[in-house]
Amino acid sequence: MKTATAERDALYDRLIVERARTPQYAGRLDRPDVQGDGRNPLCGDKTHLDIVLDGHHIQAIRHQTRGCAICAAAADLMAEQVQGGTVAQALGMSDRFMAMLVGTSPLAVADDQPAPLGALEVFAPLRSHKARIRCAELPWIALKEAFSHVDG
Amino acid sequence: MSTHTTRPASQLDVQAIRRQFPILGEKVHDRPLVFLDSAASAQKPDAVIESMANTMRHQYANIHRGLHWMSERTTEAYEGVRDLVADFLNAPSREEIVFTRNSTEAINLVAHSFGALLRPGQAVLISQMEHHANLVPWQMLRDRAGIELRVAPITDEGDLDMEAYKALLADGKVALVAITHMSNVLGTITPAQQIAELAHAAGALVLFDGSQSVVHHRTDVQALGADFYTFTGHKLYGPTGIGVLWARRTLLEDMPPFMGGGDMISTVTFDRSTWANIPHKFEAGTPAIVETIGLGAAIEWVGKIGFDAIAAHEAELTAHALQRLAEVPGLNIVGHPRVRGGVVSFTMADVHPHDMATLLDRNGIAIRAGHHCAEPLMRRLGLSATARASFGIYTLKEEIDVLADTLVRIRDFFV
Repeated sequence: MKTATAERDALYDRLIVERARTPQYAGRLDRPDVQGDGRNPLCGDKTHLDIVLDGHHIQAIRHQTRGCAICAAAADLMAEQVQGGTVAQALGMSDRFMAMLVGTSPLAVADDQPAPLGALEVFAPLRSHKARIRCAELPWIALKEAFSHVDG
Repeated sequence: MSTHTTRPASQLDVQAIRRQFPILGEKVHDRPLVFLDSAASAQKPDAVIESMANTMRHQYANIHRGLHWMSERTTEAYEGVRDLVADFLNAPSREEIVFTRNSTEAINLVAHSFGALLRPGQAVLISQMEHHANLVPWQMLRDRAGIELRVAPITDEGDLDMEAYKALLADGKVALVAITHMSNVLGTITPAQQIAELAHAAGALVLFDGSQSVVHHRTDVQALGADFYTFTGHKLYGPTGIGVLWARRTLLEDMPPFMGGGDMISTVTFDRSTWANIPHKFEAGTPAIVETIGLGAAIEWVGKIGFDAIAAHEAELTAHALQRLAEVPGLNIVGHPRVRGGVVSFTMADVHPHDMATLLDRNGIAIRAGHHCAEPLMRRLGLSATARASFGIYTLKEEIDVLADTLVRIRDFFV
């Protein structure tokens, strides 16, 4: 490859490609306390979440995702980030993640110093790929649905 | 000017054509635009752009009503396009040409107005490879009128299953067959003449959705044996907002109006109204005057190039694409119909079509990815989405090479 090509586009960080190919949180859980679904009718991508809770804590989370690399990696990295934390922390992370994608300051969402998004920051370049933001949002929409009846 | 080399009469001077499309000089992400999405909407030549701009600059007023010079001249230009369209489709008469917003609206018009003549016990027959535009209006009619909606299957190659089609017609209940003339996903050109003959033998009428096919070869509604035919302007190098329904005169005369309003009436009192003659009965309100004139310019422009040359060019491109894409590791071409137009859908093992589309875009290459408004077809194929490259009058073989080479690199990146 002589010149900078699309393949090196920052959008497709190596981590995204790897997690899409070899997810670490894919699958189903036997007795989930809550479940959530996300579906994008425009492209047919879908994700299903099984979550086991221990009080307010997310003890285990697995996703079953059929979609593009962005969507599949977003689901896997989301699961990694929220497992072990509380429902409230997960929802706070969701707000910060969405704010990062649409380019608004995370400070506009929470007054106190925002917790870092960690590995999820690989999705930041999506800001300039508006058509693909939905792909990364989809698992978080499923997560919100799963928690919509949980008192965080 | 380009150097004059001897070429067969059927061969296009593609570079000369490309110079008539200003947009093809644009760059995307600092790379020359490689536009392989003409099946979604084609780009527009100067002839179309200028005709619309000149209409608005020099000769514009509302039509069919003003008793002044500007209105009369604009009416002539607008109605002149009806003659051009009639000629384009080889329709028996200009009164059989109804202007609509697009092919979707044309099909909805038939579903509404012809559908109003159908009764429970009758059926409409579509195929598995329909665009939502030729599926959803019939579902809505089914739910409204209590008719049956039947779906003719396709073969694994992507052709209409003619034996199954015949069987679905056998009980004589099908009043209308509504089938695409060319699949926007598989590229399949359906055997329209045979479809129409079998439909008529079973007492059914036939509608063809010609949105994709009118672009690639000459259309003769009489030779096809069609009863209804629809197409849209924007895929034919014309503007958006203008489509066409052709239907046989007796059908249009028997059908009730679609929308009510100005221009479609004969007399109006507070008690009742009577309808204008066809085609005006189906053209309520101020139509898309400028867009219709733009469609006329597109038809004249395509006519000057000629469908012999267009069809030969696109057949060559399609054959080249099928060959080059087959060489890309992991690439699977979706659909191998007997006769096809300039549309090729594909998937790639381990690479989602949307990821392909985004990475191609970063190289300036525009393709379509998704379900292509044909979700039931995707389900039949066992896919959630495909990538689709489609070709037009201005497409270069070299652009297909760029596509294939870039796909090889994308595959390397993901696998």
